[in-house]
Amino acid sequence: MSGGGGGGSSNNTEWRFNQTLRNVQRMIIGRSFPGKGEGPSPGNSIDNTSAKKSNCPSTSSTNSLLDAQGIVFGARATDSARIAKFTEELSRPAVILDKLRELAWSGAPPYMRPNIWRLLLGKRLEYVEYVSQYYDIPDSDRVDEEIDMLRQIAVDCPRTAPDVTFFQNPQIQKSLECILYTWFIRHPASGYVQGINDLVTPFLVVFLSEHLEGNIDTWSMDHLSPQDISNIEADCYWCLSKFLDGMQDHYTFAQPGIQRLVFRLKELVRRIDCNQIEEQGLEFLQFSFRWFNCLLIREVPFHFATWLWDTYLAEGDYLPEFLLYIAASFLLTWSAKLLKLDFQEMVMFLQHLPTRTWGHHELEMVLSRAYMWHTMFKSSPSHLTS
Amino acid sequence: MAHRVDNEYDYLFKIVLIGDSGVGKSNILSRFTRNEFCLESKSTIGVEFATRTLQIEGKTIKAQIWDTAGQERYRAITSAYYRGAVGALLVYDITKKQTFENIQRWLRELRDHADSNIVIMMVGNKSDLNHLRSVPEEDGQALAEKEGLSFLETSALEALNVEKAFQTILADIHQIISKKALAAQEAAGSGPPGQGTTINVADSSANTKKGCCSS
Repeated sequence: MSGGGGGGSSNNTEWRFNQTLRNVQRMIIGRSFPGKGEGPSPGNSIDNTSAKKSNCPSTSSTNSLLDAQGIVFGARATDSARIAKFTEELSRPAVILDKLRELAWSGAPPYMRPNIWRLLLGKRLEYVEYVSQYYDIPDSDRVDEEIDMLRQIAVDCPRTAPDVTFFQNPQIQKSLECILYTWFIRHPASGYVQGINDLVTPFLVVFLSEHLEGNIDTWSMDHLSPQDISNIEADCYWCLSKFLDGMQDHYTFAQPGIQRLVFRLKELVRRIDCNQIEEQGLEFLQFSFRWFNCLLIREVPFHFATWLWDTYLAEGDYLPEFLLYIAASFLLTWSAKLLKLDFQEMVMFLQHLPTRTWGHHELEMVLSRAYMWHTMFKSSPSHLTS
Repeated sequence: MAHRVDNEYDYLFKIVLIGDSGVGKSNILSRFTRNEFCLESKSTIGVEFATRTLQIEGKTIKAQIWDTAGQERYRAITSAYYRGAVGALLVYDITKKQTFENIQRWLRELRDHADSNIVIMMVGNKSDLNHLRSVPEEDGQALAEKEGLSFLETSALEALNVEKAFQTILADIHQIISKKALAAQEAAGSGPPGQGTTINVADSSANTKKGCCSS
């Protein structure tokens, strides 16, 4: 059984001891249990499960009952009590790992098993633990910096992809806040930086799409269980973490990773474009900082975000490098237009690019040209050194 | 950066918009430069920029306004833009006490990174949300007096006082620069310039190279 990190150590020891004790009891008694006695002691619930497993002929009928009503009726009292316990544990906004372990040790109801396994073995539970440890606590348990950050995140959540109405859903807002705050706590070197909120949205959309049908404009959170929501949050959290692992210095103090990319973009464009744009007085930091900070998600219509993410995730560790080429390709899409503008007009144009009406073709052009330049320049690195 | 010579204005004043996240800096800017307000605005990443040209005391003034991200993490980036700024609009949200309490931090930030002659105006935004007010107007007024700043409450949403705030700060800057120019000319032995004469303000630290005027 995977430990999944964290947890009170003294509690853990006690729990392990109890498990060992039960193990021994189990060996002594064998696997046929009387299946009665609903006392509060964990020993009794073990009995109940085993009884249920051997006596309950059809799990599917239980399933359909559950599906229809959401609560267990009609099953044996012992089963329903046990399932009720699972339901109670699993429906908490933050599942208590120790309690779940205690319950699951002696067997889980089949229809709950997929979630329980994921919780026991996977990262999802680790996230749930983080949330209960860091997020679901009173402000009095937070230090000033954490209160400030929570306030910052709370200010940014409603401003995350505000043109997509679905994101204004209160549950989504809460999930977003929870993911970002947890990420901030677990990544103290960088902390939360404005714009990281935007980076969660493609993950949210994709993991929600497993549960919700149709267009995002028609999505509703009404039928998602607290467990579904917790799972989605956990998946988003871990994907975001993994995604940003290779770009940590993009978000540390003074954001050196981004500064470096801005500098290299200037070099790259100088070579591709033969200094033309630079001579117009274009200041790269003034426009490309946001591009890199938000990985261009702000510069294109939101429905392209997941496509961008396909490419980014596929690039893996090479993403920061590839971003450079995407940015160059993106910028030079407007090279003819830029040459006609003065310094101020250029800054304003680049901060509000006319991509609203973009179709697949335009973005495809940007990406494939980036790919082409990347291939061209990476095999001859001297192209990029002054 | 190379600025194209533009003879359509007498002065180019660089102004920075600073203050905590979410106080409405970007909307103050869009209200002033495009007469727009966007309820669905996103957070500013790094800095953004817009300009507007207007008449102040018979002069054509081009205000070049740099809107900065409010989060502390961005200060390293945004403070670079304080250089050369002749004015700062320091914004807080009248419904969020914390943003008012942080005014001192922002003033320190300006003292550390901006020109010492920078003209600062404090702005309490979102006056349309009077029912949610947590900073009394008198408190804003008192702090402004104590710190020697001009002060206004604005509503970018209702287009209240935004124009006036910029007019005030631009007029203040203009006045200071005119006085300096005058003093410089007197010191150089020539009399005060008459209407239409060229004022050389190149030596004024408050408007280095961007404030050069021609008439």
